[in-house]
Amino acid sequence: MNAVLLIAVPLIAAFLSIISKKIAPYLMLVVGLFNLILVFFIPEGFVIIGGFSQSLGINLLFDSFAKIALILVNSLVLIIFFLNIKKYGSYSSILLVALAGLNGLLLTNDLFNLFVFLEIAGIAAYLISTSNKKPTHTFHYLVLGVVGSSLYLFGLIILYAMFGTLNMVDLIGKIQLSGNYKNLILPFLLMFIGLGVEAKLLPFNSWVKGILGKSNTLSGPIFASVYAATIGFVLGRLINNLFMFEGSLLTVVIVILSVGILIGEAMAFASSKAREILLFSSVAQASIVALLFTNGIIIWAVYLIIANALSKLVLFLVINKATEDTGTDELDALQGLFSKNILVGITFTLASLSVMGLPLLAGFAIKLNFLTELASSNQIMLIAIILISTLVEGIYFVRMLVKLWYKGENEVSVKYNLSFKIVFVIIALALLVFGTYSTPLNKLDNSIDTIQEVVNNG
Amino acid sequence: MIQYVAIILFVLGLYGLLVNRNVIKMVISLNIMEIGLNLFIISIGFVYDGIAPIITSSAGTGALIYVDPLPQALVLTAIVIGVGTTALALAIAKSIHVKHNTFDLNEVEETV
Amino acid sequence: MKNLLALFGSLLLALGIILALSNNTLFPSFGEADLSDRVSDEYLTQDEIDALGSANIVTSIVVGYRGFDTLGEVTVLFISSLGVALLLGSSAKQKRLELNFKPNFMLRVGSRALFGFILLTGIYIILHGHLTPGGGFPGGTMIASSILLLYLADDQFRAKIKSFKILEGVSGSLYVIVGLLGLLLATYFMQNFLPVGTVGDLLSAGVIPIIYILIGLKVGSEISGIIDNFLTEEEAK
Repeated sequence: MNAVLLIAVPLIAAFLSIISKKIAPYLMLVVGLFNLILVFFIPEGFVIIGGFSQSLGINLLFDSFAKIALILVNSLVLIIFFLNIKKYGSYSSILLVALAGLNGLLLTNDLFNLFVFLEIAGIAAYLISTSNKKPTHTFHYLVLGVVGSSLYLFGLIILYAMFGTLNMVDLIGKIQLSGNYKNLILPFLLMFIGLGVEAKLLPFNSWVKGILGKSNTLSGPIFASVYAATIGFVLGRLINNLFMFEGSLLTVVIVILSVGILIGEAMAFASSKAREILLFSSVAQASIVALLFTNGIIIWAVYLIIANALSKLVLFLVINKATEDTGTDELDALQGLFSKNILVGITFTLASLSVMGLPLLAGFAIKLNFLTELASSNQIMLIAIILISTLVEGIYFVRMLVKLWYKGENEVSVKYNLSFKIVFVIIALALLVFGTYSTPLNKLDNSIDTIQEVVNNG
Repeated sequence: MIQYVAIILFVLGLYGLLVNRNVIKMVISLNIMEIGLNLFIISIGFVYDGIAPIITSSAGTGALIYVDPLPQALVLTAIVIGVGTTALALAIAKSIHVKHNTFDLNEVEETV
Repeated sequence: MKNLLALFGSLLLALGIILALSNNTLFPSFGEADLSDRVSDEYLTQDEIDALGSANIVTSIVVGYRGFDTLGEVTVLFISSLGVALLLGSSAKQKRLELNFKPNFMLRVGSRALFGFILLTGIYIILHGHLTPGGGFPGGTMIASSILLLYLADDQFRAKIKSFKILEGVSGSLYVIVGLLGLLLATYFMQNFLPVGTVGDLLSAGVIPIIYILIGLKVGSEISGIIDNFLTEEEAK
């Protein structure tokens, strides 16, 4: 079984799905299931496209890092599509292409190929965001996305002019031989800012408020869990192996990320709309993930990405379904949402407590571990920032939960389907189980990312 | 020299995006930025006295210096991707006009 | 005030990039690129040229060595045209957009004559992609521009969009199928499985001309679909 099939099969299904609009949703379900099952049968290693020698053509790299990411992303897309199949079935062709693009982003070992898949996933994202029916926000997102990709391409081309290859493994080998980091500050900064647009990092995340603030049950979870997770994994791969920030660039990046965390939490605290609170919390979490990768704490950053993707899936689905049924997402208007939907309320509470990092939930185990690792590298400033952000998170999440549980003057009646409830229960149980019994999390360690090994072995 | 022109075009496109609020002008600025970027990419492949990388029968004797073909292939892809995003941006601009009756983002009443 | 700030910021950015690039010891100045440091040196050796069989080295990179990127590019165009159709083509009954100019008889007839020539040039460029500069993308765009000529010159013309959609879907899937055939018949995705022939013949370079024909058809039909979506509007009830 070849890893290329993860990308080729969704593409061919997408090309065929426009011929007949009726079979498109079924194609998406079948292909999604096929992809998810295929991930477990792929052998580890490089996949060379076209049969050329390794440095001439394009390669895909499938290691444990990619495997975890692929399982997460493929299953999330399948679940989100299945929950939305009645209302948003016409978006199946777009979701097929998005699936191919996201898989390509996670598998590729070639920097220009990453740019092409970034554009594919980006354009699919712009189209999914049109389901919000707010063309000005989609336009804003498109402009920022194109600027980001162009900056990334600019940085990439400077790297090619300097080292002469686009293959990630060869490029890392040559960079390590060159030794002078000052030359690399401009291209790495451009590439990091370019990817930071999609990753909701600070300078360019003005699109998040519009797109996620007006999201629905399809676009909200897709952006907040699937795309956030994918870009997190891609950034992790690049920061850890290629960028390897040092010196003045490291200070600049850490300042950008820390300011991003604080501003994200502050804006979530200051907001009164449920979707805005959740999206600013996502912004802050994205910066925390990038910060962890910069400090070399790979495995806990991966677990944080997975926990965030699952929790945000539950949080956004609950709030967006409520907004769809009641027409507003002001917390005051949604008071008492859970008094009639107790099961949903419990799962929502568990998911938000996990994001906060309360004990007995997965978020606490992850937070404890990465704070310990940060302490062992003496990053007191960063620990302080993360603890302050946890405090602020606690305040606004508890405030939101109190408003949603206790009844206000108006009657709020929202109905959640059985399939929604099943997904919520499974995710909440997973967060509980891994929070109380977190020993399996210690089985994997930083060695899941094997690019450095490949480079060192020649 | 041409690399300076390419960088100036790129930054000019960025400036146009920051300053303009008319949707069509923003799309044009986006295109100028992409043209600057594509020019820059081609310019890093140039070799003095190099010829186009096409094998012709007038190959003759002696070592031939070709220009770098890889940036040209990258630019082909980048141009097509730019066309795709421009088409999508213009379609979104048309739906903005249908919904709000103007192309100017300052006049759009945002119920954010 | 905001404009002044933006101007200042942009000038600073341009200056920053130019200074950083000139101080960069590894970045070669214009024209001084040393190809022996780069991977392109391998693409230009006689062995690799004979192995792929294409006289145009840029084509052999675009469709051969980096064929996967080209598949991605084709997907970008596909999803852009899908997005334009989603945004602009809502109802089934559509008529041409009412414009202020009315083309006259000479324009309508003369454009039909020109249409044939432009179409032929496009097809020529697609077929000779492995011998001369060009290939599937410019050729497909020329075919689309011939359709645009017909649209502009005649305000009642509408191409058969349903057949374009079928052509687009089929040629895209055939491209992926050619790649998958490489996986089945040879060992790797997108590997060449047809005989290569001699460099410089029309029938050479294995799979490359076939892929370019598919790309040309796909690009032509997609851009024609985009043109049609922009130049039509809903049927007024």
